[in-house]
Amino acid sequence: MTTYDADGITMQKVREHVWEIPQEGEMGAPARVLASEALLEEIADDRTLQQLTNATQLPGVQKQALCMPDGHQGYGFPVGGVAGIDAESGCISPGAVGFDINCGVRMVRTNLTYGDVEGKERELVEELFEAIPLGLGGGGVLETDVGTVEAVLERGVDWAREAGYATAEDLAHCEDEGRREEADADAVSGNAKDRGKDQLGSLGSGNHFLEVQRVTDVFRAEVADAYGLSEEDIVVLIHCGSRGLGHQVCTDYVRRIEETHPDLLDELPDKDLAAAPAGSDLAEEYYRAMGAAINFAWVNRQLITHRTRQAFEEVFDTDWGDLGMELLYDVAHNIAKKETHDIDGEDRELYVHRKGATRAFPAGRPEVPDAYREVGQPVIIPGSMGAGSYVLRGGEDSLEQTFGSTAHGAGRTMSRTQAKQDFWGEDVQDDLEGQQVYVKAQSGATIAEEAPDVYKDVDEVVRVSEALGIGDPVARTFPVCNIKG
Amino acid sequence: MSFELRDHTADIAVAASGDSLAEVFASVADGLAAATCADVPDPDDCDSDRFSLAVAAESQEALLYDYLAALIYERDVRAVLPVDNEASIEESRTDDPEADAWHLDASARGVPLGVIDAREVKAVTYSEMAIEETVEGRRAYVVFDVLALLISPSDRR
Repeated sequence: MTTYDADGITMQKVREHVWEIPQEGEMGAPARVLASEALLEEIADDRTLQQLTNATQLPGVQKQALCMPDGHQGYGFPVGGVAGIDAESGCISPGAVGFDINCGVRMVRTNLTYGDVEGKERELVEELFEAIPLGLGGGGVLETDVGTVEAVLERGVDWAREAGYATAEDLAHCEDEGRREEADADAVSGNAKDRGKDQLGSLGSGNHFLEVQRVTDVFRAEVADAYGLSEEDIVVLIHCGSRGLGHQVCTDYVRRIEETHPDLLDELPDKDLAAAPAGSDLAEEYYRAMGAAINFAWVNRQLITHRTRQAFEEVFDTDWGDLGMELLYDVAHNIAKKETHDIDGEDRELYVHRKGATRAFPAGRPEVPDAYREVGQPVIIPGSMGAGSYVLRGGEDSLEQTFGSTAHGAGRTMSRTQAKQDFWGEDVQDDLEGQQVYVKAQSGATIAEEAPDVYKDVDEVVRVSEALGIGDPVARTFPVCNIKG
Repeated sequence: MSFELRDHTADIAVAASGDSLAEVFASVADGLAAATCADVPDPDDCDSDRFSLAVAAESQEALLYDYLAALIYERDVRAVLPVDNEASIEESRTDDPEADAWHLDASARGVPLGVIDAREVKAVTYSEMAIEETVEGRRAYVVFDVLALLISPSDRR
């Protein structure tokens, strides 16, 4: 049997791209890393494997705890981690969701082609940079009151529709139609609402960005047609989350769980795995609060979409409807959801935790929007600034292998400090302009920290996803201009 | 009383030291400011008022977590970077097992976010958190969850 040793952990090769850490000692289940050997070397280079092993100790983990091909070390639970945990006898863990609840991506189609945009890249990037609030202290599209925040928390994108920021079609093309029914604004603290009220409709920072992209390759014409994508089309990708509100929700519940369920916490190897037992009042309350933060994040991305449409109207002197700026799909990659999955031949309700992992349901699954149910759920995989991004569809084998999940991006492979030592922002920016990619940079350090070379090879991540049958490439996109984010 | 920033794949860690628990906590808070802004301006050179905060918790680790979380909250709602941090800590002993044993009173000067290049620290984490007493004094190690972006004031909306 082929094995791979790293960080004192021995993995066994189950089959191509599937590496298993057998259950032993305190582990509650086996763990699996889905990676090529090249990606595995990067994954094994930090504490990802130890964190994945720790995650199996969460009560109620079913089958295996999983690490997607773009995984890397997080805090408590690895980024790229997936765990399906029994919703009756297990637990729910805010740390296995992450601080940025419903960090996710959406893609907006246009009927523009690359030829329509050529020559206008600088004007477009300046207009978008002016239109979209971003960064720390940069405000939001709405700087509002707690009452409005509570309505957003309860109703999600439906609130945005009523307020004139979204259309019915936007709702139809968003995961869960942009609204978690169980969301409860009363489960969200006043501190979280205070942080959120001036940040609604803001990009945030770091690896969060808005990018205008051109479709460079179509791999599955029938599916691309259903998604409304053709080669040379212009699309807009928006990557951000629930801002300070979501961060505060996670912080609040980690502490409340620590105070309320110390016995469970004592059994776990890492405090950042803090979990509330399934069925407890706190588990239910966190689930309602998380649902509210999920709604907030969807509205956040919707308001950015609204401003993006206005920016395109300005640059192209055409109504956004006439530019065909429809939402293709919006999907979270930091989330826990109650989903029904087959466990040993029986349907069982699980809290499926995806932290830096994307739901990737195949054709036929009822949660997939009507428009895409026959071809499979769109999965949007943002890459780094220089490497482009992918649109996949949920693979046929995703439910069996990964609770219907795949990767969420290229995955970081170099620390931010190291990146700034190795790269000069202006050099990176010049290199990108040489590739006709226009980046509006707040500073050189920003670009250096997010330089293409600090990320794993997104092509390899997608290749592994396809080989495993958990996500099939539909189209590839390449950046035209980028605001960071 | 000192700190240094340490590498972490996606995040940033602060290693701090001080003669007392209060000193090392304030050093971590100054490290949080440095993780947010590589070149923190002299607060005397900008409009930066001092503000106070207080937290109480059941353990030293929880106290540090709550203190840093409170600073991040204040950063967002006041739109300032808390710098020049000062702290005092008391341990109270009662017979009530539910009572918080550790109390912290702190203050900081708030440098307006509008005048600095700022990276967004999302949250404090418990990951690898350590508070130790050594022969040389107290030490603490904290990992922060970070969104990295530096914004020049001239580029703001």
